[in-house]
Amino acid sequence: MAADLAPADEFIELPGGRVHLLRGGAGEPVLFLPAAGGAGAWPSFPGLVAAAGFEVIVPDHPGFGKSDDFPEVEAIDDLVYHYLDVLDALGVARPHVVGGSFGGWIAAELAVHSPHRIGSLTLLSAAGLRLPEHPVADVFLMSPEKLAEALFRSPPAASAPPPGGPPDLDAVIAAYREATALARFSWVPYMSDPKLERRLGRITAPTLVAAPADDRLIPVAHARRYAQRIEGAAYAEVAECGHAMYAERPAEFAELVASFLLSHPLAESGASR
Amino acid sequence: MKFSFFHLMPYPYLPDDFDEKYESSALTYPNANFDPQLGAALYARYLDELEYADKLGFDGIAVNEHHQSAYGLMPSPNLMAAALARRTERARIMVLGNAIGIRGNPLRVAEEIAMLDLLSGGRVDSGFVRGIGWEYFAHSINPTRSRARFDEAHDLIIKAWTSPELFSWYGANYEYRYVNIWPRPIQQPHPPIYIPGAGSTETMTFCAERKYTYMSVYAPTRIVRRWFDGYRQAAADLGYVPDPEKIAFSVPVYVADSDEQAHREARPALEWLFRKGLKQTPQMVTPPGYMSPGSLRGVLMSGLRGGGASSYEDLLANGLAVVGSPASVTERLRELYAELGGFGQLIGLFAIGPAGHDQIMHSAELFATKVMPVLRPLGVAADSATA
Repeated sequence: MAADLAPADEFIELPGGRVHLLRGGAGEPVLFLPAAGGAGAWPSFPGLVAAAGFEVIVPDHPGFGKSDDFPEVEAIDDLVYHYLDVLDALGVARPHVVGGSFGGWIAAELAVHSPHRIGSLTLLSAAGLRLPEHPVADVFLMSPEKLAEALFRSPPAASAPPPGGPPDLDAVIAAYREATALARFSWVPYMSDPKLERRLGRITAPTLVAAPADDRLIPVAHARRYAQRIEGAAYAEVAECGHAMYAERPAEFAELVASFLLSHPLAESGASR
Repeated sequence: MKFSFFHLMPYPYLPDDFDEKYESSALTYPNANFDPQLGAALYARYLDELEYADKLGFDGIAVNEHHQSAYGLMPSPNLMAAALARRTERARIMVLGNAIGIRGNPLRVAEEIAMLDLLSGGRVDSGFVRGIGWEYFAHSINPTRSRARFDEAHDLIIKAWTSPELFSWYGANYEYRYVNIWPRPIQQPHPPIYIPGAGSTETMTFCAERKYTYMSVYAPTRIVRRWFDGYRQAAADLGYVPDPEKIAFSVPVYVADSDEQAHREARPALEWLFRKGLKQTPQMVTPPGYMSPGSLRGVLMSGLRGGGASSYEDLLANGLAVVGSPASVTERLRELYAELGGFGQLIGLFAIGPAGHDQIMHSAELFATKVMPVLRPLGVAADSATA
């Protein structure tokens, strides 16, 4: 698979502001809702999925990357309506939906709310469940260094800050803006919607639940619970990988996701409600 | 000039390996390190100190609110104010303040301050604060809602104190179908309001519009000057010159018989306050949304995030503490008065970290008898002086 399909840089206008997105590849549409880090990038993972024969659309969440803040989007229920608006604005009726971490939580809520809009559902170490016996680590209290340690099973050397160098003020401010958006949606209840688990039975799309085996942020128990509660869900773990998932092992995750999508073409998949 | 004696009620007994072992004295510092017997003795001692300040002639005695921390042992400042209300007679009882940004039910603050006003015979000053960063972790309040919650709670409390009739409240953060508080406060229209400022222009305007007292938090003189100027400018924009009393300078103060003795005793106390008591991570200081990205930029550029690294000498030079003999302290406060463009209230933190009871009592006594009378004429409104 080639990962060099250059994506188009686009904005769509919604009543509440502008949404920035990257779009690349050709084929069945895949809405990829990314994790809370790395907005606006076209890391190798979406490129690899696109190269498998899909049109991959990666929006920046409200308050992330080059998307506007959308201050009226206050909580997870608002995010669901936000992404229904995005799908409508894109003219995409029923895409494959792939979500990672925070984006996985949105994907699950979207599938619960509007099962008929989801061609297939892929949850990659998704947040969203409240499992008090397996708490999600507090990303808001971690220093950037601690966060990098928690994200990767083997943190890449490049993620270490330059020793003794002055901090990049613009980067600190941009990260604070995104953390602020994440906190708006997920400070309390922390990274979860206590009602989500009991609603998962509403999901009708073919579903893949996947997790990195060494997730130090969202314990693998969350993925297992998703797989238990979503009827017929496939379940996979990627070995020797941390929560950064498609950043740490992009090829493995792309392979896993692409083969799932290829085996569930939109025309055949997903009952309507 | 009005003078108040401010107490944080710290828990000074940190372990020897505190510096290496703990990121902070707050939030995650295990409360297994808290000895309730020692804590009870501290409360008794600290209340004695505040009561003594009343007897010494301080205009105000001040308490504040902090949560889950050795830095300050008053999760409820109103309880301490209640204890003081019945044991003091003259001084204003200053609650600086209630952290209304993190309160689940701000109507409770309106009720408790009204109670205190009655208990104290109308001596209560009511400060409102947002609550500091780590407290949004500690009380599980979304920091991205901090300012909105603060503003709405403020509006609700003022209306609850002043509305002549029962009303309903429908806000983004709070909803009450029946607001009709009993008791109502004695002071009319309501107890004086104090708001701390740390550079936000919104806060300066907010205070200036309502003629609230604007008080500084601990920061270098050049920065506090900017804040006070901002408040004065906000008032000027509204067409008036603020009464000097509406500008309150907060600073730790330590007085001893000689400069040498004062520095010897104050150094460990101040180092404890700034390096241990206030030790915290950047994530605790500014949780996401607690500030706007623009305000965070200002904080980062002025080097106020995190703190804790200043030397004792820098603290003194930067006006973050005033230490010395009565003559030296008088002189230094005169200097700071000039450098800050004037202020009408000095909120002195006299009980600093691990400083001992006898030291603090003596420091307060020297201040009250030898410093206050000399500085008293400063910071008084020209019109009230000639009236």
